Amino acid sequence: MKVLTNTLTEIGGLSVFVQELFSVAYRKGIKQKDVLDQLWKVFIQSFPTTAMAGFFVGGILTLQFTLQVKTFGALGFLGGLATSSTVREVGPLLIAFMLSGKIGAFTSAELGTMRVTEQIDAIRCLGADPLQEIILPRFLGIIFASFFLLVGGLFMSIFGGMLMGVLFSGINPEEYIRHIPTLVSKVSLINSVFKCFVFAFVLAAICTYKGYTASGGSKGVGIAVVSTSVQTMICLVFMDWFTSVISDAFFTVVGS
Amino acid sequence: MIQFKNVVKRFGERTILKGISFEVKKGEILFILGTSGTGKSVSLKSLVGLLRPEEGEIYIDDQRVDQLTEEEYLPIRKKCGMVFQHPALFDSLSIYENIAFGLRRHYDLPEKEVKERVLRCSGLVNINAELLELLPQSISYGMQKRVSLARTLAVEPEILLFDEPTTGLDPITTNTVNELIFDLSRELKTTSLVVSHDMGCALNIADRIIVLDQGNVVDQGTPEQLRKSQVALTKDFLAEVLENESVN
Repeated sequence: MKVLTNTLTEIGGLSVFVQELFSVAYRKGIKQKDVLDQLWKVFIQSFPTTAMAGFFVGGILTLQFTLQVKTFGALGFLGGLATSSTVREVGPLLIAFMLSGKIGAFTSAELGTMRVTEQIDAIRCLGADPLQEIILPRFLGIIFASFFLLVGGLFMSIFGGMLMGVLFSGINPEEYIRHIPTLVSKVSLINSVFKCFVFAFVLAAICTYKGYTASGGSKGVGIAVVSTSVQTMICLVFMDWFTSVISDAFFTVVGS
Repeated sequence: MIQFKNVVKRFGERTILKGISFEVKKGEILFILGTSGTGKSVSLKSLVGLLRPEEGEIYIDDQRVDQLTEEEYLPIRKKCGMVFQHPALFDSLSIYENIAFGLRRHYDLPEKEVKERVLRCSGLVNINAELLELLPQSISYGMQKRVSLARTLAVEPEILLFDEPTTGLDPITTNTVNELIFDLSRELKTTSLVVSHDMGCALNIADRIIVLDQGNVVDQGTPEQLRKSQVALTKDFLAEVLENESVN
């Protein structure tokens, strides 16, 4: 019962926080320069790790599928099969997990420290709104940066899959690419991009919320960072399922 | 004038302020003393709207402030400058930009005047102009506290609130900060509320002192009156000071 109450309280708090952010953006405006600064900082800091993760996710899936397709004499479909599962499911989720550990933990620690060292109170006392001044730029910066990182990571996973296929599975690049359009439909691509956006939103909302509401000194910051990682991962898995259901239902209706 | 009337503040089931009432006259230096967790900082934060009391009333210059919205609080915060327990400087901004932060938010001043005020305020707290372009993490903790004070002074507040301003400082810097509080309050004719554990300093520079215990005001008066107090907590605070005085 207590777990349910805590979960509902967290969901309620997060919803109010996000609603308040949109309200501040509408009423007071967005500091575009700060958003771009954050976007650039997050993107630059995280691109190498995201690209590397994407590359290996694609590569590993290709190697895993090699055995199966060879058994059925269907090595030509390796590219389509590996790319399909990477783009539709595994790629966005694994890369988002990695980003939650990097961007999510960093942001909640940074904001939590600002909270417990009274920087956020100081901002209020000096006539500024901390939501507009520090939270909104990070929230939007993380959404956009994470979205580009996730999409970039997906391209890297396709490239990684192809390279591993060529090096270890004995398939040539043209053969690997040839069946990708057959197995990866436009719907899959749209679904994947939509997922990337939803994951980026979830990550940005949770890490800024947990950091902003941290309390209780350095221990409180630690708790905020841990709960950011845990809650983000749980929400990502849930949203992965939810977006799949929604997009399947949407495209079934549109398709029919 | 500042008035607290029966102010109650709770955090969950814990009641931190249990209906405290006191007044601070214009231009006065009031020290709030008490052991940790008795609600000293909570009182200051309630005054500037960082915390909202559950019961009671708070007035600044006859205006009730405890029920104001965040937007309505802006002119009050312009009037009240708060120096926090931590320096609370913004890591990504230079010392110059930290001092100018409140100025840029509260006023629409030309850059020339912003610069003049920043230099004047940094001079008041003895910050060398060469340090202004550095980031806060590259100067000492004591110097960060001074920057925090300069940032507060830059908006020219009528009321100065100090939340344990000498915590974490060595005795020499502590004396300097205490002298600064006294000099600034007298020179700028501001009303000052200082939250502290330091009875010795309070006896030297306060016009009046109140003692909080378990969320209640247990004693108050001028330094002379408190020296003769029979309240147990006040006597405990005084014991160490009197011992030091007798040694000297």
